[in-house]
Amino acid sequence: MKIVVVKLHNENKTCWNCPAAKLMGNVDFRACGQARGVEGVISDEEEILIECRRRPDLGYFEPNITFKQCSEWVPADFGYVLKNMRLMILGIDGYLGWTLALKLANLGFQVSGIDNYTRRDCVMEKGSHTVIPISRMTERLKVAKEIFGKNINFRRIDLNDTAKVKEFFEEVKPEAIVHYAEIPSAPYSMADMEHAVRVQQNNVLATLKLLWIIKEVLPESSLIKLGTLGEFGTPLTGRPLFEGLFPADATIKWEGRKWSLGGETTPRDPVSFYHVSKVQDTFNILEACKYWWLRSYDVMQGVIFGVYTEELDMDKRLRTRFDIDEWFGTVINRFVAQAVIEIPLTIYGKGEQIRGFIALNDAMQCMIRLIISPPEPGQYDVVNQVSGLHKLSDLAESVAKVGINKFELDVKIQRLENPRVEADAHPFEVVSRKLPRSFGFTPQVKLEEEIERMFEVLLEPEVKNRIEMKKHTIMPVTTWQGEKREMKTLEKYDPGTKKIAGHKPIFDT
Amino acid sequence: MKNRNIILGIDGVPFDLINNLSDKGVMPNFKQLKNEATFKVMKSSIPHVSSVSWSSIITGENPGEHGIYGFTEIIKNTYSMSFPNFNALKSKSFWHKKPEKKSVIINVPSTYPVKELNGIHIAGFVALDLEKGIYPKNLIPKLKEIKYEIDIDVKLAKQQSKDFFFKELFRILKIREKTFNFLWNECNWDNFLAVITGSDRINHFLWHVYEDDTNQYHYRFIEYFHEIDDIIGNIKSKLKEEDTFIILSDHGMERITQNVNLNTYLENQGYLSLSENFKKYNRITNGSKAFVLDPGRVYLNKKNRYPNGTVRKENEKEIIEDLKKLFDDLKFKNQKVIKKIYEKQEIYSGKMIEAAPDLVLIENKGFNLKGAIGKAKIFEKEKIFSGKHNENAFLLINRDIDLKEPTVEDIVGLMG
Repeated sequence: MKIVVVKLHNENKTCWNCPAAKLMGNVDFRACGQARGVEGVISDEEEILIECRRRPDLGYFEPNITFKQCSEWVPADFGYVLKNMRLMILGIDGYLGWTLALKLANLGFQVSGIDNYTRRDCVMEKGSHTVIPISRMTERLKVAKEIFGKNINFRRIDLNDTAKVKEFFEEVKPEAIVHYAEIPSAPYSMADMEHAVRVQQNNVLATLKLLWIIKEVLPESSLIKLGTLGEFGTPLTGRPLFEGLFPADATIKWEGRKWSLGGETTPRDPVSFYHVSKVQDTFNILEACKYWWLRSYDVMQGVIFGVYTEELDMDKRLRTRFDIDEWFGTVINRFVAQAVIEIPLTIYGKGEQIRGFIALNDAMQCMIRLIISPPEPGQYDVVNQVSGLHKLSDLAESVAKVGINKFELDVKIQRLENPRVEADAHPFEVVSRKLPRSFGFTPQVKLEEEIERMFEVLLEPEVKNRIEMKKHTIMPVTTWQGEKREMKTLEKYDPGTKKIAGHKPIFDT
Repeated sequence: MKNRNIILGIDGVPFDLINNLSDKGVMPNFKQLKNEATFKVMKSSIPHVSSVSWSSIITGENPGEHGIYGFTEIIKNTYSMSFPNFNALKSKSFWHKKPEKKSVIINVPSTYPVKELNGIHIAGFVALDLEKGIYPKNLIPKLKEIKYEIDIDVKLAKQQSKDFFFKELFRILKIREKTFNFLWNECNWDNFLAVITGSDRINHFLWHVYEDDTNQYHYRFIEYFHEIDDIIGNIKSKLKEEDTFIILSDHGMERITQNVNLNTYLENQGYLSLSENFKKYNRITNGSKAFVLDPGRVYLNKKNRYPNGTVRKENEKEIIEDLKKLFDDLKFKNQKVIKKIYEKQEIYSGKMIEAAPDLVLIENKGFNLKGAIGKAKIFEKEKIFSGKHNENAFLLINRDIDLKEPTVEDIVGLMG
């Protein structure tokens, strides 16, 4: 029998990447281990030594043990995993946070998390609710313990409350931090001055405080921060959306002269005050990595959708929230909800906006791969976390098709006046090479398959009833001018009656 | 009345040096003790380096038990070099074996980071963070007040003038003495173990100055040992009749005549092959049968122990025989380099023998065995140091003992 050796994506990462490694200084090893570390000064001309928090009996050593060689890293489906890795999820009660917490608990991580229920409050403010019912956090934690036999260590803390965050970090000493604790809504940030300021305060200032806390308490821990692909906008020139930093061979020409752009940050073109907050985070994190040797992956996630992961599917009581209102309902989720109660799927303007998308299950796979393959000290890197590009009008067609063919629903599509200031027809090329090439990511979820699963869940009587109750919150009333008004209907049509028009997306993996 | 043990360590001082300086009147206190007590050559550990030797002194055991074979180690399943510290010691030190006895432990090499004990512990080199080198922590402010330092900055010896180096040596020795005095009275201890390590530094860097009485720094060198003698006198004056007083070193010292790069020898003889990629021991490829760590520790590149290990169990014996012959043949200008070759089972026994070097080479006088990787020449002149370790440490104890040839492993047994 031939044994096939599978190479795991992170097997050649070394102590440089490992959060258990603590830089100790230099040792001049000429005689008798004569040594004197100069605090804070590391010279790479001499022996650079680390101490392993997990294997203190090794003493000081060179930081070049690979994950494959180290007994603390064990092979698993997604790569080498740090045994009982301590992980902190900021925003653990949210759509992504809760899903990731369950996935990691199931994989054997020691999961801790904070949340101050901002998402619940904001959705309530809109007069809506999660259409998939979720219980109070204490109840959710109890169920997770019952199913996985693991405690998720939760504290109700606002990320802006520096003292409490710091205290919790010192107690848990997380080896990686996933930051989902931001208000993720463009229209919410455009509603009025109060909402715009709240988003910036919650997102930008809390993240800035977080960076100072990491610097002080856990500089070896990696920060995996949720950004958005929307930070890059939709360049009308068709310039590809690179992964945050220009590739080495990128150049710029001007008046017959030419310069390299390699390694420089790519242009950002945010399309709401929410997106501006994400861009500001990007630069704050980039600088913190540069000044303090922190390490971070900035995850430019596409529009998220879906209901499925193995863990969410284990018990109804484990399910994550699902929002459909104009502020927090992401587009595919909203389309399916509309189809379920047979109201037209709403697209804005021409409907030829193209966006990057990723299913919940695939997003979780990416996050795990990033968590277990941490950046090196001082490394700030960006990944475009996307598994496909779609035109919104095409997506409406896809959802309608599944609704009509598989669930015999009466589904229509309508175009509304666009409440946003955005190009509603544009070229779109996205580069997403790092996750598949460096982190071993292969998308597992097919679009139609996930849409079908969503229909199945949303058609459950209780869920469908909860959609009916809040259907008035779906239609957009928040404009980018800061006014609140109903949008005019431009056109209503039957699915399958439109010709494919406009730009074709280019997905570069 | 309790039987107190007082041990003063003088790191890196050979029997001959202290015998000579005491006879010449530089160390009158030592001379008086030597006349009244037992004074012998003490065999250092194998290999004769401080980390191994001190680990044996404080545990009373051989490296096969305590697990410390050198200042460096290659971490299992890797070619990464580690510097084992107190956490790697697999046997209990005497102060942890008998926790009912109160101990004051000052500046013992390779006892960093400190662990809780009944008493006081200030670690010796290698210690990069003073805070982890002191127990209990409430001593830290007082030690900072007397400007306590674990080691002198040896970079100074390389980069600065000899005057500056001496200034530093004397400064640190004074601080050490202050610390001994302060801690002597700090608690009602049973064991007091204090080590002077500047002696090892001065011998490494300036052995030629010791040997050459026309050298302009010769008398500064001698003066340093005179100051050490003052410390001995001070301790002596405070002893009670029933106290056990031991003065010892961990290894000896002698003049370096030639550095010997053993890995280059192995490379030239086809036993070691190195890749151009990577650094240091990570350069070892699967064409290699053996490699050497400082000073003369030879390891077979075993399959299932190293990433590119190829030596199978059934071939070990044969390769060991080949290597013994190979090293036995090594000559410099007709002079044999290696005096003695030990297989690990001849010198080590215990639970940690698996990690032991397969062979340990003991050099003839003057040869400085090195494990550096990728050096162009086997034989090189040493540029920085003039002194290198040898096996002839010394032992002085204020009573008769029954040991003809004491070794570092006997010290725990001599304590009252």
